[in-house]
Amino acid sequence: MYQVDRAYSYIFYISLVLYLVSIFWGLFVTPEDFVQGNSYRIIYLHVPASFISQSLYIAMAIASAIFLIWKVKLSAYLVRSIAPIGAITTFIALISGSIWGIPTWGTWWVWDARIVSTLILFIMYLGLISLHDSFSNHEKADKFLSILVLVGSVNIPIIKMSVEWWSTLHQPASITISDKPAIDLVMLYPLFGSIVGFAGIVTCLVILSSKLQILRRERNKSWIKNYV
Amino acid sequence: MFNFEFNSLAEAFLMQSQNGQNHGIFVWTVLIIVFLSILATFIFYKMSIKKITKKLK
Repeated sequence: MYQVDRAYSYIFYISLVLYLVSIFWGLFVTPEDFVQGNSYRIIYLHVPASFISQSLYIAMAIASAIFLIWKVKLSAYLVRSIAPIGAITTFIALISGSIWGIPTWGTWWVWDARIVSTLILFIMYLGLISLHDSFSNHEKADKFLSILVLVGSVNIPIIKMSVEWWSTLHQPASITISDKPAIDLVMLYPLFGSIVGFAGIVTCLVILSSKLQILRRERNKSWIKNYV
Repeated sequence: MFNFEFNSLAEAFLMQSQNGQNHGIFVWTVLIIVFLSILATFIFYKMSIKKITKKLK
């Protein structure tokens, strides 16, 4: 806990500076997009939130598997801690996408495969939080939560591949591992910076959320008394 | 590469595109929502941790 507290400050300040610089670069320095005009600048806020919301779910699925296989208690705490942060990042992704849709598509909402699968992710996050909190027995809640997280992880490849499998209004991914990026390098650098910076800020939120979870669940242990 | 895209604060606020539409309202709204959401989450967790720490002491 002490080491995490120390690392927290470094991660927070480095990520915050990187995120703010990247956002400033993206909003004021990069040139206007030929097709979308200046509305494309929302990419520097939307893509990091969208990418992180899915990454958090993958992290939850890994932690759930670790908990179910090796019974590591900390993994169960982590699953419960990530869920609200995942819900917030998915909310940001949905809202920013809807606002971006107004000047780009002429509508804030369409029942498009990518958007609907992201909405399902948001509902899943909320459902997982509610499910866990509805149990009075924490051990039982952790087990159910972990199983449901693993079942729900099927939605992640669906979100990722939705723009390939179905004809969607949402554009295909601009950055892929196998192909050259579809956007110019001038626009790509601040995008990378904003993704890394946002990931760092979200990591800090997960640290805080985990700390709260540990304090709540371990409050009767002697080591917690020494820590506080 | 490092030239500013806008000549004044007013231009940056409006973000008028070549098709004549002002996109600033969309960009700034998203920026405010993102920053407020992150800030509110930090405040919530910081306050909750402070509260429980006080109780445990």
